[in-house]
Amino acid sequence: MMAKRLATILPDVTFEEALEITKIHSIAGKLKANRGLITTRPFRNPHHTATINSIIGGGRTPKPGEISLAHYGILFLDELLEFNKSTLEILRGPLEDREITISRINSTITYPCNFMLVASMNPCPCGYYGDLEKQCICTPYNIQRYLNKISGPLLDRIDIQIEVKPVKYEKLEKVNKVETSEEIRKRVNQARNIQKNRYSEENILSNSELTPKLIEKYCELKEESKNMLEVAFKKLGLSVRAYTRILKVARTIADLECTKDIEVKHIAEAIGYRSLDKKYINREDINEQNINK
Amino acid sequence: MLSNVKSIALNGLEGILIEVQTDIGTGLPGFEIVGLPDTSVKEAKERVKLAIKNSGKEFPSKKIVINLAPADTRKEGTYYDLPIAIGLLLAQGIIRKNDLCNTAFVGELSLDGKVNSINGVLPICIEAINLGIKKIILPKANVMEASVVKNLEIVGVKNLKETIEYINGEKYIENTNIDINKLFNKQTKYNIDFSEVKGQENVKRALEIAAAGGHNCILIGSPRFAERL
Repeated sequence: MMAKRLATILPDVTFEEALEITKIHSIAGKLKANRGLITTRPFRNPHHTATINSIIGGGRTPKPGEISLAHYGILFLDELLEFNKSTLEILRGPLEDREITISRINSTITYPCNFMLVASMNPCPCGYYGDLEKQCICTPYNIQRYLNKISGPLLDRIDIQIEVKPVKYEKLEKVNKVETSEEIRKRVNQARNIQKNRYSEENILSNSELTPKLIEKYCELKEESKNMLEVAFKKLGLSVRAYTRILKVARTIADLECTKDIEVKHIAEAIGYRSLDKKYINREDINEQNINK
Repeated sequence: MLSNVKSIALNGLEGILIEVQTDIGTGLPGFEIVGLPDTSVKEAKERVKLAIKNSGKEFPSKKIVINLAPADTRKEGTYYDLPIAIGLLLAQGIIRKNDLCNTAFVGELSLDGKVNSINGVLPICIEAINLGIKKIILPKANVMEASVVKNLEIVGVKNLKETIEYINGEKYIENTNIDINKLFNKQTKYNIDFSEVKGQENVKRALEIAAAGGHNCILIGSPRFAERL
């Protein structure tokens, strides 16, 4: 479970964050006895049968749902496409506003929900589309229908798309030293601190929260990088929404390296994290295959 | 024989000061709670009655009316068991009049008089300060959680009897002093680690970036590697 291990490399919580996390868990009755403060970022992974109310919160007097319990932590949705479409679409607002207002007959309550969405999915119903060793047996129509379950606006809010490729046997055999979570977390903390200092006047905490206006201010590109992005944009047929995502992610990559300016290599790496756009959503290749058949 | 005890209700993360007003008067014996109580608050009647009896105190056989003010806010949960019991004992004179105007009570009672833990103690304590409360008496089991809050005197009680003795000045309950910094710096150890994942360097790198910038991310893979996601 790689996503589960993501929790181990998240930046350390500040006291204020710990207080907020504990508050919500306390209201929800999820605080263990004799546990003072929750000092780790929460990791919530609701099953895909979860209802809308359990995700956003509800009840006659609304209680916090999964998104609020994941406040300052991770909401992991395994098998994303197995979730109800309406359940997924409901995440749009909270992802943008970072809080949720629930109105019920007795009261209207606002809970914070500044969470990081992590999802996993198969590329097609049989699961082997894009696999080099095993043949995919799905029809293009089926693949399209399967992927249509995530809407554009939701995808719009996901910055990084990663394809997980199989591990070669030789790699499994090798016993070279692998980085521990602690080593990675050190770098993550450093990058977060850079962001915190940079945005101290903007009322945001991380690059993911950058608005278009702030992107213009903080993600300025040099001529060389601009050209690179332009070429990629045209050649790969990236969407407009991909453009801002790439800039945000490139900013983070630069922060990880502690460099002030966004360089060409940062942009190049960020473009690499748009695989869903290129390969699955702009489905010209599939359509071509369809015609050839 | 009128008494007034304070408690705190939560509406989401926002606190509301609740006054538990108790009147014991003449008339047909009865026990009434007004002020928009829901079922769990109405049931407090039985819990309070038996908790008082089983703590060795007398439950008056008179007409008792309890009002939870403000009366237009719906009351929910078991927070009010303890303040209702204290209000009753105060009106009877079992608890000698004391200066309780800056003190709030929250807690659920069980039939034997034990004070059980409740949910939402931390937001209650934080809001208590904003509402001008100086001291809060709450279940012992919730003390750890509450002690994070500064500038508020926190008293954890085990049972109703102990609470009565404490207010009457017959028993001393030590304030729980917890070093917040120590509590905060207590590192939680994970029993999983990234070093257990072999290969997949590109995925690890992407997750590192996601963590560093707080980016939402999606992992796409065929079922053969699903267990590695």
